[in-house]
Amino acid sequence: MNKISIDPITRLEGHGRIDIFLDDEGEVANAYLIIPELRGFEKFCQGRPVEELPRITARICGVCPEAHLMASAKACDAVYHVEPPSAGKKLRELFYSAFYVGDHATHFYILGGPDFVMGPDADPAVRNILGVIGKVGVEVGSKVIEARGRALDIIKMLGGRPVHPICAIPGGMSKPMTEEERVGVEESARWLLDFAQFTIQLFNEVVLGNKQYVDLILSDPFTLPTYYMGLVDDHNKVNFYDGLVRVVDPKGAEFVKYAPAQYLDNVAERVEPWTYVKIPYLKKVGWKGFVGGKDSGVYQATPLSRLNAADGMATPLAQAEYERMYETLGGKPVHQILATHWARIIELLYAAERLLELATDAEITDRNVRTIPTETPTEGVGIVEAPRGTLTHHYVTDERGLVVKCNLIVGTTNNIGPISASIRQAAQGLIKKGEVISEGLLNMVEMAFRAYDPCMSCATHALPGSLPLEVRILDSAGQLVERLSQGLD
Amino acid sequence: MFCHAIIHSDGVLHSLARAGHTQLKILVLGLGNPILTDDAVGIIVAEDVRRRLDREDVVVDQASIGGLGLLELVLGYDRVIIIDAIQTAAGQPGQIHRLSPDQFRGNLRAASPHDLTLATALELGRRLRKDIPKEIVILAVEAADTETFGEELTPAVAAAVPEVVELVLQELERQGNGQRRPRCPAAR
Repeated sequence: MNKISIDPITRLEGHGRIDIFLDDEGEVANAYLIIPELRGFEKFCQGRPVEELPRITARICGVCPEAHLMASAKACDAVYHVEPPSAGKKLRELFYSAFYVGDHATHFYILGGPDFVMGPDADPAVRNILGVIGKVGVEVGSKVIEARGRALDIIKMLGGRPVHPICAIPGGMSKPMTEEERVGVEESARWLLDFAQFTIQLFNEVVLGNKQYVDLILSDPFTLPTYYMGLVDDHNKVNFYDGLVRVVDPKGAEFVKYAPAQYLDNVAERVEPWTYVKIPYLKKVGWKGFVGGKDSGVYQATPLSRLNAADGMATPLAQAEYERMYETLGGKPVHQILATHWARIIELLYAAERLLELATDAEITDRNVRTIPTETPTEGVGIVEAPRGTLTHHYVTDERGLVVKCNLIVGTTNNIGPISASIRQAAQGLIKKGEVISEGLLNMVEMAFRAYDPCMSCATHALPGSLPLEVRILDSAGQLVERLSQGLD
Repeated sequence: MFCHAIIHSDGVLHSLARAGHTQLKILVLGLGNPILTDDAVGIIVAEDVRRRLDREDVVVDQASIGGLGLLELVLGYDRVIIIDAIQTAAGQPGQIHRLSPDQFRGNLRAASPHDLTLATALELGRRLRKDIPKEIVILAVEAADTETFGEELTPAVAAAVPEVVELVLQELERQGNGQRRPRCPAAR
């Protein structure tokens, strides 16, 4: 096969591009996801006071600013060698749990739900929340709006404003929670817990009750065994806010467990000429290309990955669902990427239970929520689980706390390797001997891509069926065989 | 007198209020990301509009969200003017487009895999709520660079800001049915 150079200049068009390369026999050899990449972040941060970074990094993304805020605050804790007081950590985690409930609920009902509720073969025009309401009733739409509203109210109350909140600071939180506020949070937490259980029930009825969906979930094009990464607490249970990073191999055995400060010993980033995004992989396994399996350092960081990497969920209702999922799908780990949507609602349930737990914790209204840093700042790493995957912030400062260097590995970046592998797999079923079965290819590719819930920060996409996407199929000489697109003018 | 009743916007609104109508509320909303170079243009225009404006019936706000979050921000207003950055295939940096939500395709930041396009969010709002704005106008400024971190607009986009501000102010003068409010000589 000839060596092809891929021009990354298409990033300017702001949509996703996938290049599929055929070998001499016309079979799919490789697929690459090329996405726009935001540039100059490190330069932008240099010379700034490190405590500004929670505020700044929260602005990278309008969808999950809370994740960046939290990872950044934890990195600042490490830079200043300071640990928040117990109540401060709990309050951060309460805030973070509220965010998770809102984010996962929005995602499931707006994105994952429509695919399943309406069916993957449904007309794209109805494969969205409007179709869902049409099919399941207006009440569902109202519930989602209310769930978001309640989650955002908690974030606004604790964080100062609903988008780009500013409450997590080096050493803890900017202010404690009053008893009056706590009562409001508890009330919302109970409502959100009901809502989470309603969601599980909806999923059971509409998805698991439908054999066509279950078959789709279990089908080969969407099965990719890789290593799996996620944060776990002291008991190896899933935790979004804190813990150690645990990685299990494709058979589910623990491969490594590391503290944030050790991330560079474990994750390396590969540079490819055709994309600005550096592709992370497990250093100790090595880079073997965009493939899965035990010998390839490619790993996944998604809700499913988190459940695979852990031994269970820390709250009872979520734990029961966790066990049910693995039993239904034939054991741990689960390699079917579409099961990520299921994993996500199990996490939604956990987040709601955890929110209620923390809202009723004895010390949650304690006034002492911050330890003021006193040591000279140097360097630190903060890791949280963003909804889309493990999020790492790494800062180096001078002795005055001004940023010298910063490196981020955002949720979706972890998954560039597996996304490319999944796309290749999805395409292999529909491209044979150079013949492209166009109909359905874009749909399959989009489903594979979207199972990872990619967040390209400000890159532009759309609802299921109308993702602006360009797929180019090139033969072994680099000649364009076919170009498919949707959602582009 | 007809003329007297419409000299001041306050006058119109107070008389409508007395007649039992709800006060017309207009939202000017600048959207964008303030640390992504030209993506800040909506935020900057809104700030300039806020400085130039002194009207009780107009709220000026800024936000960095799209889709469903955007829906939640516009509920309760009668008219909304949104200012945001855009990149189109043939556009020239600094060029200004006047759009409505129905005209959106996938090339705008109003959509993401975790969110709705504005058009769909509004439709959702229509089915669930009664307080959807009757009119939404979007002034979209063609951007040169929205992918490099920075706090300054590129020159062509910066040069367009005063014109966009004027367009917003003109939109605010315009009545909902497209007519300009007639001037009465006695108003001076």
